[in-house]
Amino acid sequence: MTAVIQAVINGTMMGAMYGLTALGLTLIFGVMKVVNFAHGSLLMVGMFTAYWLIKLTGIHPYLALLFVPPLLFFFGYSMQNLLIKPVFKAEQQVREPLTVIIVTTGVWYVLDNLALMLFGAEYRTVRTAITGTSFSLGEIIVSIPKFSGFLVSLATAAGLLLFMKKTRTGKALQATSLDREAANLMGIDQYRIYNMAFGIGTAIAGIAGCVIIPFYYVYPSVGVVFDIRAFIIVVLGGLGSIQGAMLGGVIIGLIESVFSQFMPSTWTEAIIYAIFLVILFVKPSGLFGHKQDW
Amino acid sequence: MNKVSFGKKLTGLIAAAVLTAGLSGQALAQKTIKIGNVEPMSGPSASVGVQGKQAREMAIEEINAAGGIKSLGGAKLELVYADSKSDPTVGVSETERLINTEKVNIMTGCWNSAVTYPATQTAERYGVPFVVPVSVRDTITERGFKYVFRVAAKDSWWVRDQFRFLKDMQEETGVKMKTIAFVFENGDWGTGFAEKWRDLAKKDGYEIVLDEPYPSTATDLTPVVTKIKSANPDVLMLVSNAADAILMTNTLAEMKVKPKVTIASGGGHADPKFLENTNKNALNMFDEVEWNTDVNKPGAKETNAKFKAKYGYDLAGESVDAYAAMYVIADAFERAASTDPKKVRDALAATNLTKGPAMIVSYDGVEFDESGQNKNAGIVIVQVAEIDGKLDRVTVWPKAARHAGYKPVFPANK
Repeated sequence: MTAVIQAVINGTMMGAMYGLTALGLTLIFGVMKVVNFAHGSLLMVGMFTAYWLIKLTGIHPYLALLFVPPLLFFFGYSMQNLLIKPVFKAEQQVREPLTVIIVTTGVWYVLDNLALMLFGAEYRTVRTAITGTSFSLGEIIVSIPKFSGFLVSLATAAGLLLFMKKTRTGKALQATSLDREAANLMGIDQYRIYNMAFGIGTAIAGIAGCVIIPFYYVYPSVGVVFDIRAFIIVVLGGLGSIQGAMLGGVIIGLIESVFSQFMPSTWTEAIIYAIFLVILFVKPSGLFGHKQDW
Repeated sequence: MNKVSFGKKLTGLIAAAVLTAGLSGQALAQKTIKIGNVEPMSGPSASVGVQGKQAREMAIEEINAAGGIKSLGGAKLELVYADSKSDPTVGVSETERLINTEKVNIMTGCWNSAVTYPATQTAERYGVPFVVPVSVRDTITERGFKYVFRVAAKDSWWVRDQFRFLKDMQEETGVKMKTIAFVFENGDWGTGFAEKWRDLAKKDGYEIVLDEPYPSTATDLTPVVTKIKSANPDVLMLVSNAADAILMTNTLAEMKVKPKVTIASGGGHADPKFLENTNKNALNMFDEVEWNTDVNKPGAKETNAKFKAKYGYDLAGESVDAYAAMYVIADAFERAASTDPKKVRDALAATNLTKGPAMIVSYDGVEFDESGQNKNAGIVIVQVAEIDGKLDRVTVWPKAARHAGYKPVFPANK
């Protein structure tokens, strides 16, 4: 029994972090109707930025949260402005511009290979003050890096929701996500909103990088590991939905953690894919998604 | 003017004549022997691939500086690299390319058993000799091939020695171990190990309380560690690649899971990055290697110092075997006095290398049995210990090779 409770706690913590890695993906999709294939690479950029910051300055890993997300925001903002916007402009009439997918795939390859050139293929981990530490609740042991990651993930999701509901920019993002022509007519600069969406999505990948780096390792193609999960989570939770991404993440985390108490952990991967397929058949809009997104 | 031009022509002619004569005479001397080398240079195993590459290059430099292959007029050795990305399909196509396009004289590699297995098959089909430094999978040399030779021990020997060690230590300390857990990466290497573990554990009368494969790209190993905790084994046996070995060790510490004895199987646990990233979390863990820096062999210290000065870190089992393999290859060409694959193959089969720079290996020599396996290859068990405030890997078994003055911590946790 203890093992199951332990597994539920671990699964929830890891799951929230999976949700966090999917948050940027779902936001960008929601607003731009673009599947950002470079998302995993942006997460990798976030992890490397956090890695070097912590490694070189020796600051506490969570202090990196003050620096990495703003940097990544700028990175994502500029990337959208310089690379994706022109393609969008060229394909103004298309609802789901396919060429953009090719651009994001290109960015994925360029970023991964750039990282390979700069840092080599080796995996890197930083030993931080909190690596390998934990606290216990009776017989249950809670890992500190994962628990902090869990809290940061929830806070990020809540913050993003509030931002979307309460601020003008957030409302503009929502409006654009509902109908970009109408939003345009209301005086919302569509491309600036896209820049914002991409920037925020990338900044969240930066947050994820900061909370993952104290316990996981980074290498140039690490994005792929998280990316596949993020895609499943986004489909599971509903494309474009923030709550959906978090809930989807936790569901995946729980499957991974709890199921593996009863079967070889190599099987859970297959189960996750099976669930992915079932959802595509039964409810392609996901748990919280809008039907019209499909 | 005419005269000058005639003189020029004459010199030219003479030069040309000398060159042609020289060339035919030097045809042998100019020759390079191409060693095709498939290694993981990118992807999760890239760091081992790079270490192997560096060790090979150091050996080749030494061999070439010492005059190359003398029986072939001082022919120089040249390495031709291909990246397997740890992918069997890529490994096979790169082997084909090296053999057909690069026209290599001999093959070596590929570190990942899953790549070496089909790559050696390809080389066998072309009749190109293949010297495998470390891939441990047994069947690599158990298919009746004529051109495949393995320098290091095969994995059944690794497992054999893990259990020998366990038995010896229980006798030495009088502490009995009853339950045992197997946790391994679900690749070829891990599952191969696990198969043999099961047999030997049953034979030695241990109770197997957990038998768990995991994917080495897992983002979280807490579920596996939770299972280990529930199983509460006396002995935990591990097979891990580099990144997951670090993740596993730190997660074990985090979840406060402390088996009495933890025995790893080299690979990721032997990676130089491992201790750097786990630090005291790895304390008292036993690991298995072909080689350790404190091994008591002539020249070992010097060669290690040279390597360290060159590349910034110590030699490891893989790199030592890769280093030794280059000397095995050089020795074979020397005795074959030919680049004919058949003759090189026969020379390799007759190898009996017991001295020279290659003998920094932990075992006594290189001599291949009928299957192409080095009969002498053996294993060393080390323990992660704190010596002078610094974590290090200390040789503890075989007892004869034990680091002077060190008393193994067994069991590591009460």
